[in-house]
Amino acid sequence: MFAPTGNTGTTKTTTWKVVIPFYGYAAISFFAGTLLLLLSASDITNHYSHPHTLAITHIMALGWGTMIILGASHQLVPVLVEGRLHSNKLAFTSFLLSGLGIPLLAYGFYVSDFGWPAKWGGRLVILAIIAYLINLGVSIKKSKHENVHAVFVFTAAVWLLATATAGLVLVYNFTYPLLSKGSLSYLPLHAHTGVVGWFLLLVMGVGSRLIPMFLISKYNNTRQLWWIYGLLNGGLLAFVFIFLYTGSKSLLGIPFFAVSGAIILFGNFCYRSYRQRIRKKVDEQMQVSLLSVLMMLLPVIFLVIIIILLAISPKENISLVTTYGFIIFFGWITAIILGMTFKTLPFIVWNKVYHQIAGKGKTPNPKDLFSNTVFKWMSIVYILGIVLFTAGILLHITIVLQFAAVLLLLTSLLYNWNVIKLLMHKPASL
Amino acid sequence: MTTINANTKIATLLKQHPGALEAIVSLSPKFTRLRNPILRKVIAARTSIAMASKIGGCRVDDFFNKLQPLGFTIDKAATKMEKHIENKPIPAFMKNLSPGQIIELDVRPVIEAGKDPLNIIVQKVKDMEAGTVLKIINSFEPTPLMHLLGRQGFESYAEEINEELVNTFFYKQVNKTLPAENEENDYSKGWDATIARFNGKLETIDVRELEMPLPMHSILEALQTLPEDKALFVYHKRIPVFLLPELAEQQFSFSIKEINEGEVHLLIYKN
Repeated sequence: MFAPTGNTGTTKTTTWKVVIPFYGYAAISFFAGTLLLLLSASDITNHYSHPHTLAITHIMALGWGTMIILGASHQLVPVLVEGRLHSNKLAFTSFLLSGLGIPLLAYGFYVSDFGWPAKWGGRLVILAIIAYLINLGVSIKKSKHENVHAVFVFTAAVWLLATATAGLVLVYNFTYPLLSKGSLSYLPLHAHTGVVGWFLLLVMGVGSRLIPMFLISKYNNTRQLWWIYGLLNGGLLAFVFIFLYTGSKSLLGIPFFAVSGAIILFGNFCYRSYRQRIRKKVDEQMQVSLLSVLMMLLPVIFLVIIIILLAISPKENISLVTTYGFIIFFGWITAIILGMTFKTLPFIVWNKVYHQIAGKGKTPNPKDLFSNTVFKWMSIVYILGIVLFTAGILLHITIVLQFAAVLLLLTSLLYNWNVIKLLMHKPASL
Repeated sequence: MTTINANTKIATLLKQHPGALEAIVSLSPKFTRLRNPILRKVIAARTSIAMASKIGGCRVDDFFNKLQPLGFTIDKAATKMEKHIENKPIPAFMKNLSPGQIIELDVRPVIEAGKDPLNIIVQKVKDMEAGTVLKIINSFEPTPLMHLLGRQGFESYAEEINEELVNTFFYKQVNKTLPAENEENDYSKGWDATIARFNGKLETIDVRELEMPLPMHSILEALQTLPEDKALFVYHKRIPVFLLPELAEQQFSFSIKEINEGEVHLLIYKN
């Protein structure tokens, strides 16, 4: 009955010890980010390069978004490539370096001190990304199952390194003129390589595998994914080139349409896998994740409005740009993490607690390790929060901003509640 | 035509070929009772060729020689595993039996009446106390029953008095008593117990070479056509954590055995 073991010695699940610190760190960052948002609610209506806004953006982009992606991808990439994580030590190194670097960087921004805290913060984050990139590259190289999803993740990590390096150059440029123009004029470049190159590319690469998997859909279309890959990277490279060397505004239409095309293709990919799903009931976590796919369109719409307004009058509409950034970091990225945390962390915790006793007795359903009621309330409070905050930025009403910030802070508390509940989970008595 | 081996059930043979019944009956007079439709139904489903050959006092090869002309393909490789253990030594529990320990049950009248004695036996077994012995009086060695009770921790010994009379003793071991009622649920979910429960009723699937998310799809697909009384045995590379909520949703139970890193066995079944 027991057939000889196949050649599967190269597969291994990444240990929870590597993954869970990233999740915990991200949860705390989300709390810190929303707390600072509440404390600085009135500053948001100022220029988007306000020190507090920069600090919050970096806590959200690095501490929240990037940390959780680093954690999840240490677990997911070995699964995607049918291999194992190259090194746990490199993963810990990456965690420690970024864990130290991010608060230093955020502190530097918050107090507007571009001296040693911001510089060391930036350096540590870059070292963390290098450690991650090496670990990722070797893990993929060692497995013989390179696939489109792994290529997405690796390319995204390269863009992250480019973004962080550019960011550090901008920090230096604040105190020592390295570049021909002031740091602020390079912000669009830094922001878009980060948002499109790192977040969008990564979310699409991983999402194109996870969304059909969680919906239990057989839909797959590698050709379409390569098109998305080409459009995103081509568009972004074109953007960097046009931005640095031509300064032409009309040429920026090329990257805009390339990236929008990629988003539409990805939306189509998700829609088709949704239509071909086997499981008819879509759970709350997937609903929030699919909502975040739709949310990708919001920044595009805002960008269209910003571009049209720029064409009419040369003065930049500050609150529209702030809304654009807010929708990306608090809207799209946050929504996908809120949904996906509870599609990944319960399983990591389940594996940690139950895999050794799985054969001996009854084990709970991984879905029951967190409270779905708390999750539902979190989703409701969250959606109210972002809608009101967006309205607050556009209408310049501080009290609305403050109220919305309270809702977002509450979202983070409910999120932390469930994350702590998961991390503290002890095996039920058998 | 079907490939058969020593573990193939008699019921399968009868279902596959109308001539199989007469072919088997011609092997041993003991098999004439297979002509009784009720007995055929209850016993043939539980009895493999290997067991039947023991009951009928013939060899597994005799079956194969009779069945091959009917068009069955013979798989000899599996046959080798089921070797006869002739002259089984008398187990220790037989040596110092006092008459008070023995509960007698003659199932011959039940079988002659064309009924299945299993329920009566199971009822008797339930009432047995540890350390007692059940003596079943029958006209043949009840090999399927010996396997069944063996899995529940019973030692057995068959004593052939003559062609028409076989006494079989089942001894309930003191240290291997079944757990109390409230513990039974947990126990039955344990790996070995589940494997024993679905012995001979397993469908296997190997998803180790499949790329994500194909393992999950293949397993769910296999479960759609899995008969209610069968279990799906899965060879997997890792514990498929994302599958577990889906199983719960579809009211499947599962047992997991982690052989080593990169080798996990799973049993999925309806409770």
